Amino acid sequence: MAEMWISMGPQHPMTHGLWTLKVKVDGETITDADPELGYLHRSVEKMGERRKYFMNTTLPDRLCYASSTTWTHCYVLTVEELMNVEIPERAKYVRTIMLELQRLASHLMWAGSYMPDLGHITGALYFWRDRELFLNLLEVPSGSRLLYNYIRIGGVKRDLPDGFVEKAERVMKLFEQRLDEYSDLFENSKIFRMRTEDVGKFTAAQAQNLGITGPNMRGCGTKFDLRRNDPYEIYEEIDWDIQTREAGPGYGDCFSRYMVRIDEMKESMRIIRDCFKKMPKGPTLASTIPVRAQGEAFRRTEDSRGEALMYIVGDGTDRPYRWKIKSPMFTTISAAPHYLKGYKVADIPAIMGSVDICIGETDK
Amino acid sequence: MEIKELMQELSAFKGVSNASMIRDNVVKLDIDKNSSKEFFTKLRDDFGFEHCSLITAIDNQPEFELVYHFTSINKSVTVGSTDMSVMTEVHVFLERDTPTIESISDLWGGANWHEREAFDLMGIYFVGHPDLRRVLLPEGFAGHPLRKDYVYEIHEEEW
Amino acid sequence: MTLFGACRIMAELSIRILIPIFEFQEGLFPPFSNPAGWFADWLATDGGLDTMAWFYAVNIALMVGMTNLILVIHLERKIAARIQDRRGPMLSFRSLREVGEDLSGNAPSWKFKENYSGIGILQNVADGIKAFTKELIIPTKADRFLFTMGPIIFISSSVFLLALFPLSDRFAASSAPAGLMVIMAAFSIAPIGILTSGWASNNKYSMIGGMRSAAQLMSYEIPLLLSMAGVFLVAGSFDPVTIVEQQRESTWLFGLPMWNIIPQFIGFVVFMVCILAEVERVPFDLPEAEAELVEGWTTEYSGIRFMFFLMAEYIRGFAGAAVATILFLGGWAGPWPVPPEIWFLIKVYLIIIFWIFIRWSVPRIRTDQILVLGWKKLLPLSLINILIVIFMVEIYPYFTAIVNLPEVF
Repeated sequence: MAEMWISMGPQHPMTHGLWTLKVKVDGETITDADPELGYLHRSVEKMGERRKYFMNTTLPDRLCYASSTTWTHCYVLTVEELMNVEIPERAKYVRTIMLELQRLASHLMWAGSYMPDLGHITGALYFWRDRELFLNLLEVPSGSRLLYNYIRIGGVKRDLPDGFVEKAERVMKLFEQRLDEYSDLFENSKIFRMRTEDVGKFTAAQAQNLGITGPNMRGCGTKFDLRRNDPYEIYEEIDWDIQTREAGPGYGDCFSRYMVRIDEMKESMRIIRDCFKKMPKGPTLASTIPVRAQGEAFRRTEDSRGEALMYIVGDGTDRPYRWKIKSPMFTTISAAPHYLKGYKVADIPAIMGSVDICIGETDK
Repeated sequence: MEIKELMQELSAFKGVSNASMIRDNVVKLDIDKNSSKEFFTKLRDDFGFEHCSLITAIDNQPEFELVYHFTSINKSVTVGSTDMSVMTEVHVFLERDTPTIESISDLWGGANWHEREAFDLMGIYFVGHPDLRRVLLPEGFAGHPLRKDYVYEIHEEEW
Repeated sequence: MTLFGACRIMAELSIRILIPIFEFQEGLFPPFSNPAGWFADWLATDGGLDTMAWFYAVNIALMVGMTNLILVIHLERKIAARIQDRRGPMLSFRSLREVGEDLSGNAPSWKFKENYSGIGILQNVADGIKAFTKELIIPTKADRFLFTMGPIIFISSSVFLLALFPLSDRFAASSAPAGLMVIMAAFSIAPIGILTSGWASNNKYSMIGGMRSAAQLMSYEIPLLLSMAGVFLVAGSFDPVTIVEQQRESTWLFGLPMWNIIPQFIGFVVFMVCILAEVERVPFDLPEAEAELVEGWTTEYSGIRFMFFLMAEYIRGFAGAAVATILFLGGWAGPWPVPPEIWFLIKVYLIIIFWIFIRWSVPRIRTDQILVLGWKKLLPLSLINILIVIFMVEIYPYFTAIVNLPEVF
């Protein structure tokens, strides 16, 4: 067969969202790739310039429905930095709990959509079933299941209700048992490892240069997590470790990225448990919250997919003058040709699935 | 290297002005457009900022402002004895009628699409960029919508 | 009495009804009725009766096969659902009646009901109706003739399989001396249909799917036949009946039956892996890998043509399990009170259930990996199996005759 371009997407099972990956194949080997974005562009940045600061919290919720709380949190953190708002201690703990629950839900959704990429439908149903548990937990304080709008400028919408801790403990205990069961089905499975090991390799240096961050970079052995390296909320005082894996010296493959996410889920539950232990009583919303802001500020947070960065310029009015969103997936997708070349067509879903693509945040 | 030393060394560079620290781990400075490429090369090679976090284009009317965020991941620059990773925030000001600057996508692969996005939405031209196309808006879209003087109705029929 | 004998009697009975009809017609329209008369005369001969008996026998085999097909699809759905912690299809006559009772308000008030429960056997009917009523789309730039021929080749070669394997020594539509060779030949027609439809769809995904099917054929076909060769050496025949008789007669320790799975376990494993690749089930369903190739070679097909592919795959699965049963599991051999046909079906269904468990618990492997598996692992293993069989059948008896060794095999 001669070389030909195959256009995968915008409607294709591999894409997990609305984007196109054009791959040039020679037989079954990929020789070139060209990702194309823009099908889901909603001009969030432009919309944000017309709305007031506190109205904008719903927009980052919709950046990525798999991890909406983390995006709202990143926005709120930046605005608080811009306005110099001090938030109550308890609100920080509640935020941390919500962020980690969201990270669990997001990683579970990733795992659930990664398994069908490898041809394993049962895995999808198992992980989506477990995601329901954490969506139920997130629903308890926030009142909704997908787009929470729970984190507000100056704190959180409302305090955790009674019985939340017990319910969360129950869910986490159940989920830990299930994770042990799944380890036999996935990481100890010969075929699963055949499909994921030595596939989609990139080194840590490449990842840093190409802008691949988060679990994908930690899957190369780099010990870098913004929760530790640029701490926000309460992560400094909590007892937890950065989870890293590497497939070989300084590089990672699909399997190490999978294992990093599984380990991170366990670590998230550890953080939540520690938060429950250390959480003080008190208010959860700051008493005075300004509406106008002047100057510029940026904050970065560890989103479930990598480094999320927001940069906001205020001009003294109650609306942002410029609001810039950095999505970790934007640069990760741009690096797709680098880590796709040389592999087979059958590896495309395995590789593109393993970096946990979310197009909502990428297209903004 | 301690972050204070980093700030001193950076502020001694040609074209750098207004160097300051805006947080414990962030150095902010302005750089002249003409010496920007040398500065960025030095930043990557000598100070170990191996990750380009973000390139933001701002329409300050009349001039444009580019804000670069660079991260040091492997901790070649430290903040005391903490684990904090150091960032550098670089501001570049561009004239409104010539919004061009040298591309840094050969230094940081991750800057490639950030530059494409800045071109797409704000109309900044990056000289030496390998593939300066629109990335979020469709090919053939007229105008750059994040500019403050962009009026949607004018371009509606063209697209 | 064999199936064919029963059909022969049925043919003789039906001749008695048919011939008066033909004679009546002959009297009614004398000038035009001569062909009908000749046909009636021919039917009454021995050859005519045999032909008619064959016609009945093939139809019965087809009916048995189609009934099994529905059961296999239903079984796959229910077991898959249970593996995945859900209930699976629930639509059946009982649930329909319950819904009807509720809607009309005639439901008995004493009956506590959580949901409308059924075993879901009607789901196949619903799917069949859906597939039959869908539009048959042919892409504009497709090769119309080959696009239509692809499903026909695939389904006809698969249905042909149903007529080839016997359910027991008496229940067989055909009993060719080279039966298993014919079955394997019929099995390997289908990749031609896949390649044809993949090429004719004029779609890159379909094309790659078709090519993968050809590459897969290269990798599994040789170890498959080599693993079967051991059984043929032991039985000395290609005839399924002879093979099963040989397994039924040979015994092991304490008079336990020695089916071929015991001495030729390596061959059995190789055969099971290869036959999974042959019938294209997970983990070897590369030609229609839905994650990267959308639906592979079936991407452009719709309606009943797509359903043909789906049905043919299950028929091939059933036939593959039947061949495995005949070769290695002793076919219809089993203790007396249960009829041999039922024994045969029990073994076939056990293999199918095993396959369903595999399908829903492993991912799909890659094209280059199946080539490596086929050539580097399965081929040497099947050769080792043949060596064992040669030792067992030829060398050991030779020495037994000379130095008076115990007869183990």
